[in-house]
Amino acid sequence: MNVLNIALLQLKISIRDKRTIIFMLAFPIVMMLVLGSALSNAFDNQVKIDKMKVLYKETHNTSIAPYFEQFMKAAKKENIHFYKASDITDGKKAVRQNHYDAYVEVSNKGMNFYGSERNSIESSIIQGMLTAFADKYNLVSQVAKVKPNQTQAVLAGGTSHDYVKEMSLNAKKAPGSMDYYAVAVTTMIALYGAIGATFLLRGERTRNTAVRLAVAPITKAEIFIGKIIGSIVLNLLSLFLIVAVSSFLFKANWGDHLGFVFIILLSEVFLAVSFGLGVSYMVKTGEAARTLILIILQLASFFGGAYFKIEGADGMMKFIMNLSPITWANTAITKNIYNNDFTASLQVIGLNLGIAIVFLSIAIVSFKRREGF
Amino acid sequence: MNVLEINNLTKKFSDFIAVDNMSLTIKEGEIFGFLGSNGAGKSTTINMVAGLLRSNEGEIKILGKNIANHSKFAKRNIGIVPQDLAIYEDLTAFENVRFFAGLYGLRGAELKDRVEEALKFVGLVDKQKSLPKNFSGGMKRRLNIACAIAHKPKLIIMDEPTVGIDPQSRNYILNSVRQLNEMGCTVIYTSHYMEEVEEICSRIAIVDHGKIIAEGTKEQLKAIITDTKDIWVDVKSNENLEENVIKEINGVNTVQVEDNVVKINSQAEVSNLNKIIQYFINRNIEIRSLEEQAPNLETVFLTLTGRNLRD
Ligand SMILES: Nc1ncnc2c1ncn2[C@@H]1O[C@H](COP(=O)(O)OP(=O)(O)OP(=O)(O)O)[C@@H](O)[C@H]1O
Ligand SMILES: [Mg+2]
Repeated sequence: MNVLNIALLQLKISIRDKRTIIFMLAFPIVMMLVLGSALSNAFDNQVKIDKMKVLYKETHNTSIAPYFEQFMKAAKKENIHFYKASDITDGKKAVRQNHYDAYVEVSNKGMNFYGSERNSIESSIIQGMLTAFADKYNLVSQVAKVKPNQTQAVLAGGTSHDYVKEMSLNAKKAPGSMDYYAVAVTTMIALYGAIGATFLLRGERTRNTAVRLAVAPITKAEIFIGKIIGSIVLNLLSLFLIVAVSSFLFKANWGDHLGFVFIILLSEVFLAVSFGLGVSYMVKTGEAARTLILIILQLASFFGGAYFKIEGADGMMKFIMNLSPITWANTAITKNIYNNDFTASLQVIGLNLGIAIVFLSIAIVSFKRREGF
Repeated sequence: MNVLEINNLTKKFSDFIAVDNMSLTIKEGEIFGFLGSNGAGKSTTINMVAGLLRSNEGEIKILGKNIANHSKFAKRNIGIVPQDLAIYEDLTAFENVRFFAGLYGLRGAELKDRVEEALKFVGLVDKQKSLPKNFSGGMKRRLNIACAIAHKPKLIIMDEPTVGIDPQSRNYILNSVRQLNEMGCTVIYTSHYMEEVEEICSRIAIVDHGKIIAEGTKEQLKAIITDTKDIWVDVKSNENLEENVIKEINGVNTVQVEDNVVKINSQAEVSNLNKIIQYFINRNIEIRSLEEQAPNLETVFLTLTGRNLRD
């Protein structure tokens, strides 16, 4: 009950603060609108999927050869072209060099798939189709990105007779600029929950209301949990509104699994709030905590592609991009929307929770030790 | 019954001793005044009683129970009016009081009644739907009090509740302290204003450097000062006055003239009243009245601490 009271209080005082509304709603929506429409031209050219090229190698006399032949024909109508590789061709290398979007080896044992990391959308569309195909023929299939030594079994996706059609319909849904920025800005603003979190408990101290909370017959744990719940709910509410606006007003595509998208966002908000809270206890002044977090958030936003999409990054750049929680969430949500792929989501949710727990522990230990509050 | 009992309480901030081996007992029904200049240790003591700070040594008992083992019991029975305003500017007056009272386990209709009662008590019923942002300093102070009393604590601790407010609000607050007391609350009241403490407190402790250096009713405190007396002579005109000459009179320490009042401070044991009157008669200065002032708390404080209450 006390937890609920405190959570409600947190919600109330945040919602009544105009800055919260501007920062958590107006700012992201305007940003989506501006970036989404200003960059739409450049964007569409980059992402537009016209012709997809797949290199394939087939061992002789496979039992599925006739079906595969059919499959390729159907695919061609959807502008996916298959090219037979000679025996000596290094398919993976060809993909790596960006001559093809994907490379498939078909044998009696099944299929091996190598998608281009560079053209990830194309390669995942192709992967989706092949998975469906393999499913239908009960093939054991294996998938690997063109990243050596990382082979993973394909999750059985939804099968359908018209797998080719369905998948290429998805292809037409490939993200336009508004779709891209809707996701990118939303995942960015979820992380910005960290700013508010630095003031979650510190704000009570500067407002001096901490005194009253501390003299009341409630436990520190109740204060702490109530505050965190209030903050998370507030962030989720604003994300919910942002997603709704982007979806209904800007017609951004959020896919068919919104529940999953929100679970990813929830884990990201939890990460953000814990991070903000943890840092607020690690740094002396509120201003310093805020500044530090702002810098980190700016970097995370930039490298997470919230301002503009970073494509075809390699090496160091790619490494840095992969450090940004915004990249994680973006990737997971994009895979969710466009390929119905949830493995990435689970990994990201796990990662977010894990890091959140570290920062939260720091905050809890400091909070418990502190005299009074 | 002892509402508060403090035994050998000490609080250090690293090397600095803010409260120094303090002992104190406050009985039910008292309005207990805490007098001390800036940094004397009043707030620090209060904060330990309220459970905001941990003591280094000593024990504190609320209604006979040690707060170290009965923290919740103690907290339920204490209401604290902090020195600095502790209210949410974005919540209405009503919401503020309701939130804090709700932390004491009050619910539903009872909660609502208590909140209204508290707001009525401080005279903010009309303003209950307004945000404190738009309140005057005095109104904020009153809300600060309402937040501390809605749960009906046995002991109310007020840490300088009248700082920086208009005389009207101050009177209001002083009256409400009396009223709370009549309703059965024991009150601890700290202030920089001697008049306030003198007016409402039944017992007073003078705190200096973390120690209680004197304690008792105001009469008892004033009785400490026995070595000087103040004689105030109200005259028709001060034209022919010569302060230096008055000062020559046996026993007189200081002479101050304020408008038509001549304030003479003299050693208590010297009987020189006749000589003083003689002076005025000789100079043909008409005396309108003459009175010997009882020592006031200000003098007591000054004598004991060597400092004024306010700098
Ligand atoms: N958290 C703290 N850390 C270090 N020193 C402190 C702390 N709190 C108080 N002090 C010091 O302890 C002494 C007593 O402070 P306290 O606030 O109890 O005084 P006070 O009697 O309430 O004074 P005032 O009339 O100014 O409110 C002061 O010298 C103050 O500087
Ligand atoms: Mg003080």
